[in-house]
Amino acid sequence: MPISSKTLIRSSALFLLIGLGALLGIVMMTLLLFERTQGYFEDVVAAREVRGVVVGLLSRMQDAEIGQRGYLLTGEEAYLLPYEQAITAIPSALTFLEERVADRPEMRAQLELLAPLLTAKLEEVTRTIDLARQGRVDEALAVVETDRGKALMDGVRASLGEMQRLTDLRLNTGVESQRDNAAAVRWVTIIGALVILAVVIGSAWMVTLYAREINAARRYEGQLNIELERRVRERTAELGRANEEVQRFAYIVTHDLRAPLVNIMGFTSELESSLASLQNFVANASIAEDDESFAEVRLAAKEDIPEALEFIRSSTKKMDGLINAILKLSREGRRKLKPEQIDLNAVLEQSAANVQHQVNEADGDVTLEIKVASLVTDRLALEQVFGNLLDNAVKYREPSRPLQIKIAAESVRDGKVLLSIADNGRGIAPQDHERVFELFRRSGSQNQPGEGIGLAHVRTVVRNLGGEITLESEFGQGTTFKISLPRDLRPVLRSYET
Amino acid sequence: MSQDAKQVTIVMIEDDEGHARLIERNIRRAGVNNEILPFTNGTDALQFLFGPDGSGEVQSGQHLLILLDLNLPDMTGIDILQKVKGNPHTKRSPVVVLTTTDDSREIQRCYDLGANVYITKPVNYDSFANAIRQLGLFFAVMQVPETD
Repeated sequence: MPISSKTLIRSSALFLLIGLGALLGIVMMTLLLFERTQGYFEDVVAAREVRGVVVGLLSRMQDAEIGQRGYLLTGEEAYLLPYEQAITAIPSALTFLEERVADRPEMRAQLELLAPLLTAKLEEVTRTIDLARQGRVDEALAVVETDRGKALMDGVRASLGEMQRLTDLRLNTGVESQRDNAAAVRWVTIIGALVILAVVIGSAWMVTLYAREINAARRYEGQLNIELERRVRERTAELGRANEEVQRFAYIVTHDLRAPLVNIMGFTSELESSLASLQNFVANASIAEDDESFAEVRLAAKEDIPEALEFIRSSTKKMDGLINAILKLSREGRRKLKPEQIDLNAVLEQSAANVQHQVNEADGDVTLEIKVASLVTDRLALEQVFGNLLDNAVKYREPSRPLQIKIAAESVRDGKVLLSIADNGRGIAPQDHERVFELFRRSGSQNQPGEGIGLAHVRTVVRNLGGEITLESEFGQGTTFKISLPRDLRPVLRSYET
Repeated sequence: MSQDAKQVTIVMIEDDEGHARLIERNIRRAGVNNEILPFTNGTDALQFLFGPDGSGEVQSGQHLLILLDLNLPDMTGIDILQKVKGNPHTKRSPVVVLTTTDDSREIQRCYDLGANVYITKPVNYDSFANAIRQLGLFFAVMQVPETD
């Protein structure tokens, strides 16, 4: 299942939220349970205190009874000590219990039962002791023998026992709750930890999956790039080969065309020299003037043959020019380019200076706006390009206005330099914008000498430099040639070689 | 050539019969009257130069001057040049390469293989005729050794 980055972000956020929730749950539950443990603990402590007091109270009551019995038996005051201590301690213990069990109905009920029993028992003990002090020991014994004191004491014991039982119960409950609480804390922690662990594993898994996908995609992309580069290299090499093929073709064709042309020209010359003897013979021939067939021969020797030879000669001369033009182009294509660091401004200034004389005659001027310091290219090729373009600008100027030529250069994207040369000449009609770059094709009125080679040559040279040339022109307004060249020719040449 | 001039045979290997004729005429105009043997293809020329057995012994004792075009229908003139300069009987015979090719590598190769003169045929006929005539004058004064 492919994971989009959106899915990853969403699921990561969800996992994070779940993890955060689990952590918060653990913390809150722990705090709550801790709070409760605290409560239980206080409860237990309080219950212990109460139990201690209850046990103490019983012990005091027994102390009082012990003191009574000892005194009654011996009449010694020393035996009264436990009694006296009990008498002072019991009321405060009672008050303490009353305060503590106020909110516990069962205990309060027991305490209400206990209080009159206690009072009555203590009264009985005090009375017997008082009687004994007054020397009325018999009476005191009689009181004891009524068994009322014993009954009261049993009641006190039972009541306190009940209270103790209730308190123990409460203690047990407290401890039990505390244990439950501890267990709850443990479970909450374990479950929370499990949730967090699951979240961590889940998100780690998602991230791993995503990373794996990204890696796969990157590998695929890398392969695509390599493939693309390989194809570009192949294509460049193919283009280079095709270009070379065309150059070779042009070279061979022109050489093979030359051979018959030499014959035509050669034998034309031979004919001409033969013709001279013929003309000589005809001129000096002593044949009757009215001989009709001789008149024809004379006409042929004097006019027809020379005219035919003249046409042959002019045609071969034209053909020779064309072949030479093709040869020049193919030679230019075969010339080995020498890339070197070139001061563009200096080269263009020199090119402008070369036509300065003609520009001055046309009452015009050339301005340069070069924003590129230097580039690496073939100097001769660049000079040829600008020499041709400047010649054209001068040649095809509009005579009715002063000639203005503007040469500019600036850096553009992809390591290229954009050169432009703009004139205010006669312009090129839209249908001829592509045609003027073709060999032997010319545009506009043919009032200037030319063979239609210049721009074809320029385009060949610019393409050899790894660049491209285009033109923008408005008929009657002027023409701008734009040349884009690589800033550095060397990588281009390397790609041709491979 | 003046004394031995009569003995020197000019072997012209040129596939274009028009060129061959023009060359012959212009050489004659320079006053060279030696025998000119024209061949229009490489096979016939090799047959003549090295005999049926291909050893070259047939030319023993001859004075040969070879005019060679590089663009031949059945082989390139380079092959012929190589064979002529590689054969013990013909290696001393001067070879004048006269062709339309002006490729600098081709010229170098011809001299490396032992060509004595390399001339590119001028396209313009007047220059062409002029060049051939001068070549003829050159032939008139040059010494051609005897083949072994």
